[in-house]
Amino acid sequence: MLEIKNLHVKIEDEGTEILRGLDLTVPTGEVHAIMGPNGSGKSTLSYVIAGKEDYEVTDGDILWNGESIVEMSPDERAAAGVFLAFQYPIEIPGVATMTFLRTAVNAVRTSRGEEELSVADFMRVVKEKSADLNITSDMLKRPLNVGFSGGEKKRNEILQMAMLEPSLCVLDETDSGLDIDAIRVVSEGVNRLRGPDKAMLVITHYQRLLNYIVPDKVHVLSKGRIVKTGGKELALELEETGYSEFVDEAA
Amino acid sequence: MADAAHKFTVLRNPAEEGFLSAFDTAARDLPGTDAIASARRSAMDTFRRLGLPHRRVEEWKYTDLRARITAAFPASDDNDAAWQAVEAALGPMKSVDAIRMVLIDGNYSPQLSAIEDIGEVVRVASLSQALDDACFADMHASLSTVPAHDTTVALNTAMMRDGIALHIAAEPTRPLHIVHVMKAADETSSTVRNAISLADGASATVIETFVALEEAATQVNTLTHVGVGAGSRLRHVKVQAENMQTVHLGTWAVELAPAAHYEALQLTVGGAVTRHQIYLRFDGADAKAHLNGAFLQRGKQHCDSTLVIDHVHPGCESRELFKGVLDDEAHGVFQGKIMVKPEAQKTDGKQMSQALLLSEAAEFSSKPELEIFADDVVCGHGATSGAIDEDLLFYLRARGIPEKKARALLVQAFVGEAFEIVDDNEELHDALMTIAANWLSGDH
Repeated sequence: MLEIKNLHVKIEDEGTEILRGLDLTVPTGEVHAIMGPNGSGKSTLSYVIAGKEDYEVTDGDILWNGESIVEMSPDERAAAGVFLAFQYPIEIPGVATMTFLRTAVNAVRTSRGEEELSVADFMRVVKEKSADLNITSDMLKRPLNVGFSGGEKKRNEILQMAMLEPSLCVLDETDSGLDIDAIRVVSEGVNRLRGPDKAMLVITHYQRLLNYIVPDKVHVLSKGRIVKTGGKELALELEETGYSEFVDEAA
Repeated sequence: MADAAHKFTVLRNPAEEGFLSAFDTAARDLPGTDAIASARRSAMDTFRRLGLPHRRVEEWKYTDLRARITAAFPASDDNDAAWQAVEAALGPMKSVDAIRMVLIDGNYSPQLSAIEDIGEVVRVASLSQALDDACFADMHASLSTVPAHDTTVALNTAMMRDGIALHIAAEPTRPLHIVHVMKAADETSSTVRNAISLADGASATVIETFVALEEAATQVNTLTHVGVGAGSRLRHVKVQAENMQTVHLGTWAVELAPAAHYEALQLTVGGAVTRHQIYLRFDGADAKAHLNGAFLQRGKQHCDSTLVIDHVHPGCESRELFKGVLDDEAHGVFQGKIMVKPEAQKTDGKQMSQALLLSEAAEFSSKPELEIFADDVVCGHGATSGAIDEDLLFYLRARGIPEKKARALLVQAFVGEAFEIVDDNEELHDALMTIAANWLSGDH
């Protein structure tokens, strides 16, 4: 279970507080969506869960399965099962996608006390999971995300998620920049990973993605706090009314 | 003139005195014809006049040799070593399948070399043989691409004792590997002159690797003369993995015939002070030269790559990509000069130098120079230096890769770009990547 309690976060070296007493609970086995206007703190929340150093937690806590993760390094969090699918996956020239995947998988396995995968086993798993996501072997040979289209980058994120077997998945605007076919492929990839042992947090600006990844709950984030929580129908309401209600209310 | 000379007191440092007296002692025994002996004397006269280059010599402003070389080390006659020790020193480079020529302390070692099975394709000679051979002697007597005031080259000409001469007539099936091993356990110098000439239409890979068996302070002065015939192709690789006490002065003097294709790569992990010079001249139209370099330095290591590319004929292409990784107080230098003469229309010249600084005290000096006298050319240069990108690091760590490993991966990726020039030779490419990886884990 993910428990976020009274979380206050500011950008390091700047005074502005971005998350201002955020409370959120996502039980294992559920998918929750976070929706909100631009600038409400959605991406900050995803980065803070993953452990980006530019953000400072000034108050509150983030617990994953009862254990606080705020003092953990990003790689320790990954080993503990945290995975962030980036809104803007980073391009790394000179590192082949396959090399990167294998390094990551084996690093995580080692930290979890599991044996490293042999080259043959690794190749078998990659082949299987990349086929599900229409990722070609040519893409895997190319440098990480370099020259990938928006859709290819997002599919590559989901492949990493599948390979690293996380238990807490945070998807940050995974639908941004995708056409409807790409959203379908990515969503199917995400849905395959749903399960009773996993918690998922889907961060999105638009309701569209939630037609494909149907959430158990929807939360509205505004000005750094959760201001409303409801079922999946809340997303449809927001699509009708927009976010003005919350922006005005908070202002 | 004699009067004028008396008006000046020439102040020489002990190293300069040492080189002069070493030459006086050794001159009679050094190999070569009368013409070579005369070239040696004239080179030493230049050295006597100018001494070691220092910071007021523009080309040496970042690498003050007069301050850094304080004694002239004696040469050695040794040419033998235990192969196992050489193999261990070669590290990853031993896995590169090649025709092998070994120099121990700068002296050709036939017993450690493996030059069988090359028949008519390649003619191999030691320098002492080559100096009497019409096919090489000219290359040693005249170095038209090198400026006369380069006294490190003058010292090489005056003192060259041995080396490898290769005349490549066709396309050898394996790379040719010149292995230069410093074996000496105390202060020793090596002065080596190699020559590589490719007949028209030939194609080859030549690798020069420099390693040391001991931690002794040594001085290595090496010059390779390269002549690439019309339409031929040479891939020329240098690996400098000597110990951290070595002063390494290396020069490549390169002449390219029409439509020749020259690909060069220099990797440096060793040395206290390393200076790599490439003087390259296009002697015909439509030739191409791609020069890449990677230097990984730490502690107080100093590595200087200085290139002079002379476009004399139309339609030639030059590319340079030099990547430096600098930790602690290491200092990297890149000087790249591209000259385009009035006749060299349609020249395409591009240059890039990039440094990754791993510590606050590491330093990178970059000096690009373009001298363009033709009006229809495309030339450009760029230089960057900076720390590891934190966003890249976060991405890798968010995928579970621990910080140290993530940094190593990014550094390898950074220098790896320079190695792409040889990525069709998997063995060689892997060896270079492994050398970089070993450096990162602190093994060099």
